[in-house]
Amino acid sequence: MISDELKAVILSTLKLDGWDLTDTTLAAEVPGWDSLSHINVVLAVEKHFGVRFRSAEVLKLKNVGDLQRLVDSKLAQKP
Amino acid sequence: MSHIHTSVGTMWDRWRENADRAPDSAAVVHWKAGEAPRRWTCGELIRTAEIYSAALTNSGIEKGQVCAIIVRHNALLYPMYMACVSAGAIPAILAYPNPRLHPEKFREGLEGMGRRSGLDWILTERALEDVLQPLLGDGRSTIKGLHFPFEDSNYLEVVQSGVRPGPAQSAPLITARESDPLLLQHSSGTTGLQKPVLLSHQTVLEHVTEYGKFLAVSPQDKIVSWLPLYHDMGLIAALHLPLALGIPTIQIDPFEWVQAPSLLLEAMSVERATLTWLPNFAFSMMADKIQEEDLEGVTLDSCRMVINCSEPVRYRDQEKFFNRFAPRGLKREALASCYAMAETTFAVTQTPPGREPSTLAVDPKSLSQGVARPVAEGSTARVCVSSGELIPGCQIRVVDDEFNDLDDGRVGEVLIKSSFMFDGYRNYPEKTAAAIRDGWYLTGDYGFRYGSDYYIIGRKKDIVIIAGNNIYPEDVEAVINDLKGVIPGRVVAFGEEDAEFGSERLSIVAETPLTDEGERRQLRMAIIKAGMGIDVSITNVYLVPPRFLVKSSAGKPSRSANRERVLRWRESDTTMGTRR
Repeated sequence: MISDELKAVILSTLKLDGWDLTDTTLAAEVPGWDSLSHINVVLAVEKHFGVRFRSAEVLKLKNVGDLQRLVDSKLAQKP
Repeated sequence: MSHIHTSVGTMWDRWRENADRAPDSAAVVHWKAGEAPRRWTCGELIRTAEIYSAALTNSGIEKGQVCAIIVRHNALLYPMYMACVSAGAIPAILAYPNPRLHPEKFREGLEGMGRRSGLDWILTERALEDVLQPLLGDGRSTIKGLHFPFEDSNYLEVVQSGVRPGPAQSAPLITARESDPLLLQHSSGTTGLQKPVLLSHQTVLEHVTEYGKFLAVSPQDKIVSWLPLYHDMGLIAALHLPLALGIPTIQIDPFEWVQAPSLLLEAMSVERATLTWLPNFAFSMMADKIQEEDLEGVTLDSCRMVINCSEPVRYRDQEKFFNRFAPRGLKREALASCYAMAETTFAVTQTPPGREPSTLAVDPKSLSQGVARPVAEGSTARVCVSSGELIPGCQIRVVDDEFNDLDDGRVGEVLIKSSFMFDGYRNYPEKTAAAIRDGWYLTGDYGFRYGSDYYIIGRKKDIVIIAGNNIYPEDVEAVINDLKGVIPGRVVAFGEEDAEFGSERLSIVAETPLTDEGERRQLRMAIIKAGMGIDVSITNVYLVPPRFLVKSSAGKPSRSANRERVLRWRESDTTMGTRR
């Protein structure tokens, strides 16, 4: 389940509205989410949630569900 | 470069000599995030290539046949590429299809390419088998079959055994001559517009030798690169040059780098690399997007040259890059630039080692009228960055429309004659004839000379360069033309400068009779999706009313005229200028 908060950050970075994002959504399926804009999405998510991802963690992301789980795990580690 | 070996012969001869002379020296370091790198020594690389080569020969691949290589970047790619050369075949590394590229479009592209290049075999992955299989035996394709050298047992077992299989064991692996074709490179594009550039062993070997001398390459040098190997900068500068000169190259998967750009600097720091090539957008991206935490322990003091190439060099991005990484040890004199293209093997001009690119502040108004008139640096000046001096073996003319040579500071088309020139586009005599005049290659680039420096400032051709990749507007216009709501034939694609990105973005202007805002929003999305289907990212969509677009004398909408018209109107009319 993708949170409304994560959806809003991603869609705002990509300048999209009304686009549905689910656990299995791939970046390649979303207009504007290409290899060059991927880093902008990652940086926006990090900034919004106040978390930091390591390169190896970013490289393992396969879909939006993976990104949600990574955000959740980072938030759970925050004091 | 006194200690670098520079004998003649075929490329394979050179690799063989390097391996015989220093079998245990590092050749390729395949760098993976979060994993120990795979380190190929010269000896191990050539042995594995020989084994692969015998397996390729046993699988029916013959001398002179073109082998398209469509695989994700992986540690076995290097010996497999070399194996094609060893077998006398002609390798052509092609881009691995992005998941967003429609399979039908991917096949169409390969079919178109096959008709020109005469692709004989595809060396690929099982994951693409279903997509590629329809290409075989449909009567239109030249492709004889698919091979899966990283997955099939007939390849893997022999590679793992470390023993060359028979019956090819007794046969000579190399039957090539210096003048034989070594490799085939394709310009970008998706619908068969790609132009295949064929280069011989001798041409590539002589070029990397001369270019290496100009760069003062020594055995202490190491190259680090994230560049794709289907691009001339990745293939020639970052793979052929080090393999031929016997220096190591550290290779990073481009898909990994673009997600984690700090990988390049991490690898440079750990491996003490000295040379790298980057398109301009990467200077901007690395300066803006890498976070300090990702640079812990990174020092860049080993870097001798970071060479800006493949896109117009932008002053702002070079400065941004230097200011960001100088505290990490990057030296000012390590900044460098180059002007290169596949048609001349690679480099034509280059800044000498130890000298940052010259800059020239000019009056932008005079520049638009074809004169680079120096002015004091200030807010209105355009700062042009030199792409360096001619490397030995290359000649440049800057000419006007009547092919008259122009003086220093006068802007014209750049023509090149070079000892490392291609022999023409393979099976494309009409394109070759249009590209070469009296032995001079017409680059389609605009530039000027100032002293011994050459400045490239724009393009005559309509090609759009996004992050170092060439996009043909025709490809994009063709797919948008078919969309419901777009008036057929009334679409123009063009590049728009994006200063923050450090490159161009692709814009579309399309005529439509639609006036309902909901329908127009749907059409905009349909246009963006049509771009995705051919793996092209469209950033701006301008929907305009019927009869808005200006036609050229040939009756087609003129790209340059409509680009100017749209950008002018965007400023004055907010209702038509709908940007995403």
